[in-house]
Amino acid sequence: MRILLVEDEVKVSNFVSRGLSTERYAVDTALDGNRGIELSQGCHYDLIILDLMLPIIPGNQVLKLIRRRDSNVPVLVLTAKDSLQDKVDIFEAGADDYLTKPFAFAELVARVKALLRRGPVNRASRIKIDDLELDRLSQHVKRAGKRIDLTSKEYALLEYLMANPGRALSRTMIIEHVWDQSFDGVTNIVDVYVRHLRSKIDDGHSRKLIRTIRGVGYAIEEQGAW
Amino acid sequence: MNFHSLRFRMTAWYAGLLTLSLLLFGVSVYLGLQHYLDSALRKDIAEEARSIGDKILEDVDKNGEKYVIEETAENYAPEINGRFIRITRQGGTELYQSRMPKDGSFNPDFVSRPRGPANSPPYRREVVGRATLMVYHYEYSIPSGKTFLVEVGASYHEIAKVLHGLVFILALGTPIIVGVAVAGGYWMMQRALQPVNEIAAQAERLGYRNLRERLPLVHSGDEIERLSMALNRMISRLDASFQHINRFSADVSHELRTPLTILRGELETLAQQHVSLEHMEMIGSALEETDRLSKIVEQLLAISRLDAGEACRELVRLDLGALAMSIADQLRLLADEKLISMTFNVTSGVEVEADQIRLRQVVANLLDNAIKYTPAGGWVKLSVFLLDETTAVLEIQDSGVGIASSDLPHIFERFYRSDGARSRSTGGSGLGLAIVRAICVAHRADVKVSSTEGQGSGFRVEWPLATKVFTVDERTSGAALSSATRNPSSTTQITLG
Repeated sequence: MRILLVEDEVKVSNFVSRGLSTERYAVDTALDGNRGIELSQGCHYDLIILDLMLPIIPGNQVLKLIRRRDSNVPVLVLTAKDSLQDKVDIFEAGADDYLTKPFAFAELVARVKALLRRGPVNRASRIKIDDLELDRLSQHVKRAGKRIDLTSKEYALLEYLMANPGRALSRTMIIEHVWDQSFDGVTNIVDVYVRHLRSKIDDGHSRKLIRTIRGVGYAIEEQGAW
Repeated sequence: MNFHSLRFRMTAWYAGLLTLSLLLFGVSVYLGLQHYLDSALRKDIAEEARSIGDKILEDVDKNGEKYVIEETAENYAPEINGRFIRITRQGGTELYQSRMPKDGSFNPDFVSRPRGPANSPPYRREVVGRATLMVYHYEYSIPSGKTFLVEVGASYHEIAKVLHGLVFILALGTPIIVGVAVAGGYWMMQRALQPVNEIAAQAERLGYRNLRERLPLVHSGDEIERLSMALNRMISRLDASFQHINRFSADVSHELRTPLTILRGELETLAQQHVSLEHMEMIGSALEETDRLSKIVEQLLAISRLDAGEACRELVRLDLGALAMSIADQLRLLADEKLISMTFNVTSGVEVEADQIRLRQVVANLLDNAIKYTPAGGWVKLSVFLLDETTAVLEIQDSGVGIASSDLPHIFERFYRSDGARSRSTGGSGLGLAIVRAICVAHRADVKVSSTEGQGSGFRVEWPLATKVFTVDERTSGAALSSATRNPSSTTQITLG
């Protein structure tokens, strides 16, 4: 999978391309709009990550030029603007998704994967991690074969974690998935729910599945992997 | 009446000056008229005396004294005219003397004879009984050598009557004129000052949130027009500087985003390396702070956008009670953790128009605060009801720590912390209530707080009800909606442990 990253901030460009390389993507970088257009015309990319505020040619201009030549390549826009009008403009210019700076890398990866349609969108009706099982149809959760009762929020939280195994999910991502962005200001709602979920899932088991990744968020994974 | 008002003072000055000038005018008219009447009377009696001499006494030798008496009485009729006439022969014997005038104002017998030599001043003033007379005397000589002293007098009575009449008119007229003028002036001042009152009232209403409004322009071409224009220009400058501040905080927030992205990205990259647990802890802590910084930047930007009126465009009709209940339901665990009981008193069918995310944010922030500042075992109460036909009320009360009265006026300010240590330990950016207020203001809603320290706080949001105006195709469903809004039939009362 080949990704083109058009971003004028060298440092942002560096860590994004480094991080994506770790995820085994091939990343080409362009530091301005001109170079970005050149590269996008030179070879085929599976995804373009485009910063909106670019020197020489502004990002939405670049986006329109890319769209004129190739209407299929998915484009993820990075932006420091997130007013309603900005969002409308971004989609009208032909973006497939956008991410507001500053973003957690985990979220960037999640969106990249979603756009490339290859997981972690786990659509299986049953997800199993270690001896924890979640059935999406009956909404039943079992640990070591024993049924665990969850509230609907706890279930939604667990499902989101289990659909992204091994991936650190930030509190913002969790809030937007399980609640909605109006709860963003609510202080520790994610922590309280995770604590409750953890006591139901992990208490009494020697292998703890839910992990806290300080400063980043939460992840669920089979123990041996860490 | 405000005795310090410009209107009162102007009118008082005006009335005082008018009264003073009317008094001066009256006095001069009085004196002038008195002088004029006095000299006219003098001239009159002198002419009468001379004509008696010239026309009657001239021929006394030819016609005899009886003729003089009859002619004088007939031609001058002193009794009828209220005059006094006396003709004295040389040597002091009386030839003729008029009788008492018809009105009986004086008795001619008591009019004294002129004293001193014949060329003494011809006019003299006589007081006879209650009347004052002006008497003219004049010596007439006929060719035969005889001389007669002719005296003609007239009472001041008539003059006094005219002057009294004048005083009466002035005394009556001055207060009437002054009164009318004062009333007129007071009314005129009100008319002239009305625009000033309007300008003042409008200026009172202006705050930094509606600086785009202007004061009413008065096209009078006078000082008030200049005042209103000058004030409007001042408001424009204020508006510009507020917008500048607003733009500034939006720009700063934007500018902070890129460095924050880098900081966050580098830290995350670092966290993926094989570092010691101790370093991992430090990186994690740094990441948490980046998160907090990002949140502050985001919320500041949100506030400046709300203040600039850019947000809240997606207005939809919402059931306030249902929305509040669903938020409360999602926050229930936070309350359960602290054994806080949540009570609801929610009227259904209270519909408001709002940007859904924003309104949810208001409820979530207020509820979160209520739970956060209520100690374990306390209670939080959420109520939604109709205040009147135009306003819905959302009330969130708690039995928490409360807010000191000195802090109450400031809690909606950005970054205001009533007690730094306590607030920081419970987290939060210090912008939650500022956002709540910004959202309310952007929706023309009102948020109020009341609190007793140690006993709890109550936040009350007064949100305008959705307008009951429906387009044609909405009319059928609209009728049902509006009746539901007017008659909140069901009230939900639920208590959650």
